[in-house]
Order: sequence, then C-alpha cells, then structure tokens
Amino acid sequence: MLTEAALQQSNVGTQLLTRIAGFTGFLHANGYGVGAADSVDIVGAAAETGVLDQAILRWNLKSLLCNRYEEWQRFDALFDTYFLPPNIKVFVQNDVKIGKPEEPTMGDDAQSNDSPTTPENTKTDETRAARYSASREENLSSTDFSELDQADQARKVEALMRRLAKRLKHLKLRRELRSQRGRRLDLQGTIRQSVSTGGTPLKFAWKTRRRVRPRLVLLLDVSRSMNSYSFFYLRLARALCNELADVHCFIFHTRIQSVGEALRDPDPWRAQERLNVLAQGWAGGTRIGECLQDFNREQGARLIHSRTGVIIVSDGYDTGETALLKKELGTLKKRSRRMIWFNPLLNQPDFTPEAKGMQTAMPYLDLLAPGADLAAIERVLPQLIESLQ
Amino acid sequence: MDDIAGLQGQLESAGYVAEASLAATLLLTLDLGRPLLVEGDAGVGKTEIANAFAKVNNARLIRLQCYEGLDVHAAMYEWNYQRQLLAIKLLEQDDRPLADKEKDIFSEAYLLKRPLLEAISCEESPVLLIDEVDRADEAFEAYLLELLSDFQISIPELGTVDAITRPLVIITSNGTRELSDALRRRCLYQFIEYPDFEKELTIVKIKAPQAAEQLARQVVAFVQQVRRMELQKIPGVAETLDWTAALLRSGITVINEEGAERIIDTLSALIKTRDDRSGFTPEVVSRIAATC
Repeated sequence: MLTEAALQQSNVGTQLLTRIAGFTGFLHANGYGVGAADSVDIVGAAAETGVLDQAILRWNLKSLLCNRYEEWQRFDALFDTYFLPPNIKVFVQNDVKIGKPEEPTMGDDAQSNDSPTTPENTKTDETRAARYSASREENLSSTDFSELDQADQARKVEALMRRLAKRLKHLKLRRELRSQRGRRLDLQGTIRQSVSTGGTPLKFAWKTRRRVRPRLVLLLDVSRSMNSYSFFYLRLARALCNELADVHCFIFHTRIQSVGEALRDPDPWRAQERLNVLAQGWAGGTRIGECLQDFNREQGARLIHSRTGVIIVSDGYDTGETALLKKELGTLKKRSRRMIWFNPLLNQPDFTPEAKGMQTAMPYLDLLAPGADLAAIERVLPQLIESLQ
Repeated sequence: MDDIAGLQGQLESAGYVAEASLAATLLLTLDLGRPLLVEGDAGVGKTEIANAFAKVNNARLIRLQCYEGLDVHAAMYEWNYQRQLLAIKLLEQDDRPLADKEKDIFSEAYLLKRPLLEAISCEESPVLLIDEVDRADEAFEAYLLELLSDFQISIPELGTVDAITRPLVIITSNGTRELSDALRRRCLYQFIEYPDFEKELTIVKIKAPQAAEQLARQVVAFVQQVRRMELQKIPGVAETLDWTAALLRSGITVINEEGAERIIDTLSALIKTRDDRSGFTPEVVSRIAATC
C-alpha cells in the first residue's frame, strides 16, 4: 500500500491525491453537503489506509462523506461514475418528473467541465460556484415553489419541510416554569428562599414543565389559480400533520373538505391518490366566503379555541360574495387567537392586493405574509406557534 | 483487508455479525478518532455495535440514553446539592476564611459525574454510546457538538475539564428528528439495513445455538417474508431472536402449513401492534409457512 510520504514524493502520487480530492467537488455538484474541509479529511484517510484496494477506499469515503440516508443510497453509483474510467461522463438521471420536461440536474466531473452550455446549465453552474460551501439548504428554501419542477428538488424541499415541522415540534417543550407544586425541585429557588430563614431551606420551590398545546388549522386554496403552489402546501401540511399533534387541514375552492385523514396516511403515494380523489370533480371558481361559512358552521365551534392559529393559504381571487366573506372572516377572527394569510403572489415585485377577496380580508388578518417559498413560511410559523402559547 | 477481516472475526466472537464495510468504518473511527453516527430502522442492531466494539477493544462502555428534555445536568455533571447544603451547615463552625470554604464546597468531591463527564475523565479510553440522540432536543445537540470538537467540558465554578483520554464515540439515531448538519459533519456515517438472509441466519446461529439448523433457516425465511409485508412495525433482529426462543419454548421444531395455529400463538414475539396482528390469519401464516 502507498504511504503518504511515498505519495507525496512521486508525481503519480500527487495525481492520485488530486483525483481523490476532486471527488468532493463531484459529490457537491451532485447535491451532497460536503465542503473543502472534507477533501483534506479524505486525502488524510486515503493516505492512512491506502488507495489501492477499491473496496476499502469506497467504504472509507462512504462513511466520511455521507451524512444522511439518501446520500448513503446514491453513493455507490456516484463512486463508480467518478472512479471507474469508462463511465466518467455518465449523468445520474432523475427518476420521476413533475409537470415540466426533465433536465439533467446532476453536474459532470468537477474537473473537466466541458459539457454543452445551455442556459440552464450556466445558471446552475453559477449558483453552484456561488455556494461552494457545505450548505445545501439556503438555496432551495428560498426558491419559489412554482419554479421547483424536478422530482429531485421537490423531494429535497419536502425534506426541508419535515425538518421545519420537526423544529416547530420542539418549540413548545423548552421552557420550565417556577410553580407552587411541580415534579422537579428548583434548587436555586429553594436556596434563595432559604435566605429568609437563615439558610435553612424550610420552603421548597418547584419547577414544572410548561405544557402548551397550540392548535393549527390550515385552510388551503386548491383552485386553478393556485395550481403551482397547492402541491407544495399540501406537502407542507403533510409534514406538519405528521410532526405536530394538533394540526387540522382543509382544502377548498368551491367546497371545503377535510383532508387530515388522507394526509396522515403513512404511504405517500396512497396519500396523494386519496387527495386526488377528494379534489376530483369540483367545478371551477373560488368561493372563499361560502367555504368559510361551511367551515364555521360545521367545524368552527369544535375546532377553534383560544389557542388556535388559523392559516389561510390563497391568492385571494374570489368569485363569491364579498359581504359573506366579510361576515365569515369576522366570525373566524373572533373565535381564533391568530389569523394569518399566506399569499404566494405577494413576493412578486409589482404586487398590490387588488384581488377582491384579498382586499376584503385585509382588515381581519393579523398578518398577511408572502408564502411562495419555504423561507418565507419559516419566518412566520415559529412566531405564530409561540404566540399561541 | 486483513485487519478488516480480523476485526470482523473479533466482533463475531463478541456476538455481533458485521459486514466488511462496517468493520472498515470502525477501523477508520479508531484511526481518525472521529465519532461514528449510526442510523437505521429500529431493531437492526445499532446499539449492539457499541456493545461489541467495547468488548473487542476491552474498553468500558459508558452509555447515555437520550430522551426528550435531557439536559446538561443529566448528561454532563451536576453538583451534589444535598451534600453541599450539609457541608455549608458543618462549615459554619469552621474559622477558615470564606474563600477557602467556598472552594471546598465547589470541589470535585461534590461533583456528580454524569456519562459525558465520566467518559472524558476515564484513565483508559472508553466507548461512549450516545443512544437515540434524536430524542434529545436541539439545545442538547449543541452541547454535544462542543464536547465532540474539543473534548473538554467547562464547569463554571470549577474551570475547564480536559479529556484525559479520548473516548470512542458511537452515536445512534432513529430519525424521529432530523439531526443538525453540524453534528453530521463531525461524524463518520454508517447506515444499517435490515440484515439479508445469510447475515440474519448467522446471527440466529450465534445467538440461539439451541435452534436446529433447519428451524433457524425457516425462522429467518419467515421473518424475511414478514418484513416485506406492509406492517406498521417491522420486526427487527431482536424480534427474530425472541420469536426463535418462543418457538423453541413451545416445542415447535419445524415451520409448516399444518402448524399454522400453533405458530400464531407464538407470533406475539414477532408482531407488536394490534393492526399488524389482525393481518396474520391462519391462512396468511400457513401461506408464508409453506414457502419457508
């Protein structure tokens, strides 16, 4: 086996090391969260264990460079592509596509960038160069949902959504309160109280965990104008439903329909099928007012209490009666603690809330937030949940 | 390649069947001194790796079981308040200067070492198993990162405690919460799949030597089939072993269609939810048994 010293002395050794170090670049181009520091690590590890045995090199690099299961699964194919000579130019293709025609997202060998330069290619290359660091989140979370058309990206955004939901889950457990009774002795408090009795702790202070159960009610507009967004909002709803205990989700355009059951289905494909069935056969047009009326009449009293946050996702294009919408929003507002409205169109520079529904709704909302990308949602949701405590 | 095979052999004699790739990663853990993050479904033997690895290295195993609400006091250190209060009372009659008394009260004698502090203050480097790190909250993960990068713990009243020896750290996660990228980047990574037929058979042979060769084969074939079914809770390796024991206990030596009724009685060792259980009708069981 080659040792580090031997490797550094010979020219062949240098080439070998460069080749191995270049592997991180290749993985990064393929969406792995690896950075330059990892190159140093793998060269070190390669020098330590030798590079001549393919299996050992593969296992070592795999455990060093993979950070999560998806990466673990794809690693072997990428390793072959990079290190086995005839396949260097092989593109690893996406499997499924959503909507628009598919383009290969995977970059080629990081060292020989001679693929035909289509506009799309240059764009991804630029963004890639701009963030040659070990972070892959920034970019996707601030991409407009309607621009995410590749299955690969959609999956990643879903993963980000799950992470967001998981973070939200932990928001509520962090605080402990001092209280008269509790399950844990608060020693600092006890000692402080003992000052008045000359250092003898006669009275105990206790700590108890602050338990809050905020409830979220999601009302998602799935009408045609929301087409490119509702897919992602349903994904987000699914992630939230799975992580938080008390989330209730409804979809509406001309009718309103609970989708909590379908979203909680553990099998993502079946969930999607069930949603399709639920949304089928609806006539066009959005009647937000009527839907809210139905909701208030049938679900409102049961679902909405003083720690409920209502989240409406819609672009506000309403074909129903304004007066009705006004009345129902008023009812909803009175019942709930917070009412916020995500409007995906708000991000667009020339946006003014012209849509009739939007204008009617403005006075009743606690917050009107842009909701076209995950970052925007992430800015709002934690505060919303905290404000419900 | 030789040392990998060697480690595999050692692990096996410690009761753990490891693939070559896992053995290679464990060797790398030793070489680089980095923590190893092990992920995989429940019941694939993640925790067992640490046990076997400790046995192989003749090291002590220090285990920190994470749970929701785990805090620094339970994981790193805590002052022994009761003893301190007692000492304060006793020292009241003492004429030494106040600073000395205070130093006395905040000395190591009153420090309760919790797993993390214990792991870095061992004379010989132990194996530190941080089990199910995803159950602890993110604040704890940040503390853990500090420990894993510097191998030192700062105790405000006492100063910084540096590691005497570096523990071999193995972290397991079940994926109930996404771990931070920072933690993932500090660790080597290994994903453990459900074992394939051959591997599981070896495990059964090692762990349940009293089962006959034919029964072991049938048990493993049966479990492998069950894993392919749509279940809420897929049985892990531990369940396979439990079930083998249950079969032996009720005197079943062969799995076949005729014995379906008796097999069903033992399935409580393998199938752990009511919904899953209701799927195992005599017909289903005898159909699976027929293919074993």
